[in-house]
Amino acid sequence: MADYAWRKLLQLIPTVIGVVTLVFLAMRMIPGNATGFMAGDNLSGDALAAMTERLGLGIPMWQQYVNYVTGLLRFDLGTTIVTGLPVSQLILEALPITVMVAVLTVLISCVIAVTIGTIAAYLANKGKKWFDQLITWLTMLVDLMPSFWMALLLMLTFTLTLGWFPASGTINFSDPGQMLQRIALPLMVLCAGQIAMIARITRTAVLEVLGEDYIRTARAFGLPQLRVVFRHALKNAAMPVITVAGLAFGNLLNGTIITEFIFSIPGIGTLLINGINSRDYTLVQSVILVYAFLFILVNMLTDFIYKYIDPRVRL
Amino acid sequence: MRHRFANLTLASVSYPLRMMPGLGWLRSLLGNRIGLIGLSILVPVLLLAVLVPVLPFADPFKTNVSVSLNSPSLEHPFGTDKLGRDVFSRTMTGLQTSLSVGFLVAGITLSFGLLFGTLSGFFGGKLDRLVMAGVDIFLSFPSLLLAIGLVAIFGAGFLPVVVAIAIADIPRAIRLQRSLVLGIKSRAFIDAARMVSATPGWLMARHLVPNTIAPMLVAASITAANAILTEASLSFLGLGITPPEPSLGNIIREGQMYLQEAWWISTLPGLVILLIAISLHLVSDGIREVLDPRARKS
Amino acid sequence: MTPGTQMNPLLQVDQLRTYFHTREGVVRAVNDVSFTLNSGERMAVVGESGSGKSAMAMSLLQLLSYPGSVESGRVLLEGRDLLGMKEEELNHVRGGEIGTVFQDPMTSLDPIMSIGDQLVSHMIRHLRLNPRQARERAAQLLTQVGIPDSEARLRSYPYELSGGMRQRVLIAMALSCKPKLILADEPTTALDVTIQAQIVELLKDISTETGMALLFITHDLGLVARFAQKVAVMYAGRIVEYGSVYDLFERPQHPYTQSLLRTIPSIKGPRPKRLMQIGGFPPDMRQPIEGCAFADRCLAAVPQCRLEAPELEVKHGRQQAACLVDGGIEAVIGQTMPLHREGAEPLPQDELRVETRPVLELQQLTRHFKTDASLFKREGRTVRAVDEIELSLDPGQTLGLVGESGCGKSTTARMLLRLDTPTAGEIVVEGVDIAKLKGEALKSFRRKVQMVFQDPYSSFNPKMKIRDIIMEPLQVMDIGTREDRELKVQDLIRTVGLDTVYLDRYPSQLSGGQRQRIGIARALALDPSIIIADEPTSALDVSVRAQVINLLADLRERLGISILFISHDLSIVRHISDKIAVMYLGKIVEYGSADAIFEDPKHPYTQALLYAAPVPDPVAEEKRTIRLIGGDLPSPSNPPPGCHFSTRCPMVTDRCKQDQPVLEQMADTRKVACFHAS
Repeated sequence: MADYAWRKLLQLIPTVIGVVTLVFLAMRMIPGNATGFMAGDNLSGDALAAMTERLGLGIPMWQQYVNYVTGLLRFDLGTTIVTGLPVSQLILEALPITVMVAVLTVLISCVIAVTIGTIAAYLANKGKKWFDQLITWLTMLVDLMPSFWMALLLMLTFTLTLGWFPASGTINFSDPGQMLQRIALPLMVLCAGQIAMIARITRTAVLEVLGEDYIRTARAFGLPQLRVVFRHALKNAAMPVITVAGLAFGNLLNGTIITEFIFSIPGIGTLLINGINSRDYTLVQSVILVYAFLFILVNMLTDFIYKYIDPRVRL
Repeated sequence: MRHRFANLTLASVSYPLRMMPGLGWLRSLLGNRIGLIGLSILVPVLLLAVLVPVLPFADPFKTNVSVSLNSPSLEHPFGTDKLGRDVFSRTMTGLQTSLSVGFLVAGITLSFGLLFGTLSGFFGGKLDRLVMAGVDIFLSFPSLLLAIGLVAIFGAGFLPVVVAIAIADIPRAIRLQRSLVLGIKSRAFIDAARMVSATPGWLMARHLVPNTIAPMLVAASITAANAILTEASLSFLGLGITPPEPSLGNIIREGQMYLQEAWWISTLPGLVILLIAISLHLVSDGIREVLDPRARKS
Repeated sequence: MTPGTQMNPLLQVDQLRTYFHTREGVVRAVNDVSFTLNSGERMAVVGESGSGKSAMAMSLLQLLSYPGSVESGRVLLEGRDLLGMKEEELNHVRGGEIGTVFQDPMTSLDPIMSIGDQLVSHMIRHLRLNPRQARERAAQLLTQVGIPDSEARLRSYPYELSGGMRQRVLIAMALSCKPKLILADEPTTALDVTIQAQIVELLKDISTETGMALLFITHDLGLVARFAQKVAVMYAGRIVEYGSVYDLFERPQHPYTQSLLRTIPSIKGPRPKRLMQIGGFPPDMRQPIEGCAFADRCLAAVPQCRLEAPELEVKHGRQQAACLVDGGIEAVIGQTMPLHREGAEPLPQDELRVETRPVLELQQLTRHFKTDASLFKREGRTVRAVDEIELSLDPGQTLGLVGESGCGKSTTARMLLRLDTPTAGEIVVEGVDIAKLKGEALKSFRRKVQMVFQDPYSSFNPKMKIRDIIMEPLQVMDIGTREDRELKVQDLIRTVGLDTVYLDRYPSQLSGGQRQRIGIARALALDPSIIIADEPTSALDVSVRAQVINLLADLRERLGISILFISHDLSIVRHISDKIAVMYLGKIVEYGSADAIFEDPKHPYTQALLYAAPVPDPVAEEKRTIRLIGGDLPSPSNPPPGCHFSTRCPMVTDRCKQDQPVLEQMADTRKVACFHAS
C-alpha cells in the first residue's frame, strides 16, 4: 500500500507541474499587459511602473517563473493589490469554510444517494420499474437545474418567505448550531446536485453488477437476495461509484463558487469572484491553484479507496 | 471454445437484434418516445428563439418606469423588471444567446474531440502521451473554474465565453473519442482492412469515425446543455454576457435584488433554462436508445 | 441401468415451460420439457445456442433473470415441487441440495472476495459449521478437486488463478454442502482442450465417488459420449430426442441428432471428402413456430411436419424422439451417407503429388514481445510468443496449426499477414521473403495472403453494408472500375453460396454462419494464393460448422488456393488438413502429415491432445484408455526452462528440464521435438 501511494504520487508530479505552469502562463497571456489589466485605466505611467516593479513583472519571464515556483514552495503567494494583505493568509482564512461545506456535502449526499440508487436498482432488477422511473426523472431534473437558480428558489422560500435560515452573517466555527443554520441552504443546493449524480451512477452500477455471473452464483448457492445485494453487489458497485464521486467533486467545487457567492459565505469561491472583480490576478491565480490542488487531492484519494476495495488494482 | 456463449439473457434465446445502422436512426429517433418528448420541447423553443425579431414581442431594451416591477400578465407574460422592460422578450433574446453558445460550444468541442481523440487513439505513442498529458492537466481544474479563469483573462462577452467554455469541455471530448477509438481499433475489421494495406486516413475515415460518431453526438448534445448552464452561471456571476445585452444568467442576476418584491424576474427565466437542458438530455437519451437498444434495459 | 431404477427419481421435470416476456415479444425458450434423473445418474442435455438448454437449467433453480418466467410445469426434487416453494425453502435447496457449476469461471466468482470467503460462507449457512470448521473443510475440498497448496489458495483472489483452477474452485463450491445433484451449465466451454478433459474427468470421478447425480448442459456431443449415461437433445426449446447414451449414438432417431452426428468429423478412421451439412440456420425464437421447428432444415420432412408439432414418443426400446417420420433421415437417404465411424469414402491421398515449391515457408520465424520497463522494474520481461518456428505449405494444400491458448498460433497468423512484424526469421511467400517488406512491395504482397477471422461479430464494420465490406479490398487496392468491382462482388457472394440480395444488408442482419461466408468472400476478393483461417468455426453453432468447413474445402479444390487452418478443434483440423503442426508455448513440437499424426502421435503433448479430444462414440470412449495430462498451461511470459512441456509431461526426465529438444526429422516428413520420440 505504501509502495502504491508513492508510485501514485510520483505519477502526479507531471500533472502538478503542468497545472502550475499553465496557471503561470495563462496569467501572463492576458492581452496587453497584466499590470494594465489589473490597474484598469486609472493609473498614470509612473504608478504603473511602480506596480510592475512590486509585482515582479519587470524581469525576464524565466526568472519570474523561478520566483513564482519558489514562492509557491514556501507558500508565499504574494500580496493582494487592493489591500496589500498576504494572499496566503486570505486563503488560510477562507479555505476551512469551503472545505467544511464540501466535506459535509460529500458525507450527506453519499449516504442518501447510495441508498436511493441501490433501492432503485434492486427494484428495477426485479422488473418493478415505477420507483426506478421516478428516481431517474427526479435525478435528471435536479441534475439539470442551474444551481444558482435552485439557490434563489430556496432563498425565496426559506429565507424571504419562511424566515428559517439566514442568508447572510458571519460563520463562527465555535457555534455549530448557528453555523449549521447559516450553511443549511448552501448545503441543500450542493447536496441536491451531488445526490442526483451519485444516485444515478449507483443505480446503473448496482443494476449492472446484479446482472453479473457471480451474483447468479451466489444466488445459486442459496444466498437470500438482500444479502446478495449487501455482500456482493454493493462492494463491487462501489468502484464505479467512487470514480464518479471523484469526478462529481469537480461539480461540487463549481457549486461552491456559486453558492458562496449567492449566500455570501466567506470561502475561497467568494475570494475568487472578489479577486476577479477587483482584477487582482495574484489572488486569482492562487485561488485557482488551490481549487486545482483540492481536485487533484480528491481524485488521488478516490484512487486509494479504489485500491483498498479492489485487490486487482495494480499500477 | 474461446467464444463465450451468451448467458441467460435475451441473447441466448434469440439472435441478437440490432437496429438498422446508417441514417435510419434519425427516422427512428422520431419514433422513440423519449427522443420525441425531447424534440417536441426543443424544436418550438428553438423556433421561438430564432423568430424573436419578427414576432410581435415588446422591445427587450425599451425602458418604461411606469410599469416597473409589474407581475406577470397577459401583456407581460413574465412580468417586467425594475426599469419596466418586458422580461419575456428579454428572456427570449437571452435564449437566442444561450442556444448560440450551446450549439457553438458543442460544435467546436465535437470537432476538436474528434480530431485529437482520433489521432491520439489511433497513432498512440508519443503523440498520445503528449495529448493525454495536456488533457490531464486541463481536467485537473473543475470545469466552471477553468471557464471563470479563462473569462477573467479573455474578458467578458459572447466570443470569450464561447471560447472559454469550449476549452473547458474539449479535453473531455478528446478523452471520450480516444477511448472509443481504442475500443474500435482492437476489433478484427480493422485488421481486415489493414490486411489489404488500407492507409491510416482510410481507416480513420471509413472505420473509426463512423463507429464513434454516434456516441460522440450523444455526448455533444449533453455538452450543449452543459454549455448553456455554464454560460448562465458565468453571466449570473457577472463574468459572462454583460448587461444591457440580455442573457438568461444576467436577467436572473438582476432579478436577485428584487427577489422578494418581484419573484418572477429570476424564477421564470430559470425555468426556461431548465426546460432546454432537459430537452437536450432527452434528445441525447433518445439517440442513445435508438443506436443501442440494449441501453433501454438498464 | 442401475438396479435402483424402481425407486422414486431424484429429479422429475414435468412439462416445464419458460418464456421471456420481452418488448419485442414473447420468446418461448423452453416448451413442455420433461425428463427424470435418478440419484447417482449422469445425464447430459445437449443443444446449440438458443435451444433453451440454459434457460431450462436456470428454471430448475428458479434463477431466471427478468424478464424470464416459468409459465407452467413441475420440477420435483425427491417429490417436492421446487416451483411452488417459498424463497426461503428454495434457498435451502440451492447449494444445499443442488450444487451448481457455471459456464464461465472467469466471471462466476466474485472478483473482489477471496476464494476462502466465498467457499466458507455457503458452508456456514447450509451445513451450520463454525468458521474454523468451514475453513478446514474448504481446504480439504480444494485438495479434493486437485488444487495444490490449498491452505494458501484460500487466501487468493479469483484473478490470481487460471481458468481451469477457477472452475475447480467452483466445483469445490458446488460440492461443499454435500448436494444430491450437481447442475453443470457448460462447465468446460470456456476452457482449453486439455483443461476441459481434466474438468470432465473430475466431475465424472466425483459423481462416481460420492454418488451425486450430475446434470450436464453442453453443446458438445463428443463430451456427452465421454461420460453421460442418459442424454436429452434439445432443439428450439423442446427435447427432440431422449434416451441412453448408447442408444442415442448407436441408433439416433431424430433427424436433428442423426444429421448432427454426421456433421462432426472424427479423429479416427477414414476421412470423408465432404462432411454432411445441415442447411439453414436455427429458428428465430421470437417468432411463433408452427409444426416441427426443425422441418425447414430436415431432409426427411413431409408436409405434415409443418403443420403438426410432434410429441416425444418411444421409437426404439426406451429411446424417445419427437418426429413424425419413423427412422428420421435414414428413412430417406438410407445408407448413402452412413454414420462417419462406419467407414466412409476415403479421401484420395497424394493423388497428384508433383514436386513443387511450397507457396509458403517459414524459417526460424520469431516474435518476442517486451513488456514495458517502468520506473520500478528496470528490465522488461521478454515474452517469446513465437520462437523460431519452421513450416511450409504446398500449393493447393491445407496446413493445420493446432494448439491451446497462448501457444502463439494467432501471433503467427498476424505475422504472416504482416499485421505484426517478426523479431527475426523469414516468411517466404512464393519465393519472396516478406518479413521485412515495406511500402509498395508490402502492398503487392498483401494480395497473396488473406485471412478469415475467428469472430464473425467483430470482423465486420457494423456501419458498412455487405457490398462495401466485400468491395473494400478492391477499393483500397484501387482495382478495376466501379462496374468491375460491382461485378466482382456479385461474383464473390455467389461463390460463397449466398444470394446477391444480401449485398444491401448490414452485418447485424446476418446470422453467424452467413457472416462467416461473407468473411470468406472478402478474403477471396483479391484472388489470394493463400488463405489463413483463424478458428473460423469456433464461434459457430455445431450444426452450421460443417457448412463453413465444406465451403473452404470446395474453394481449395476449385480455386487451387492453399489454406493455413488454425484451430484447437482436432477433429476439424484432421478433416481438412493435409499436414499438421502442433504448437506449444511458441514452439512447434510436432509436424507431419495429418493421417500419420493422428494414427501415431509421437510427441507426448500431441498424444495428450488426442486423449483430451472427445470422440462422439460412447463405446469407443469406454474402450479408450485415457491418459490425461495434469497441470495448467504455463504462462508464455515465464515458460519452464528446458522443454516447455516438461512441467506437464508424463515422460519427463532430468534432461528435459535442462535442455530444450529441437525439432528433428523422424521419418519421411515427420518432425518431432522430444528426447523420447524415437
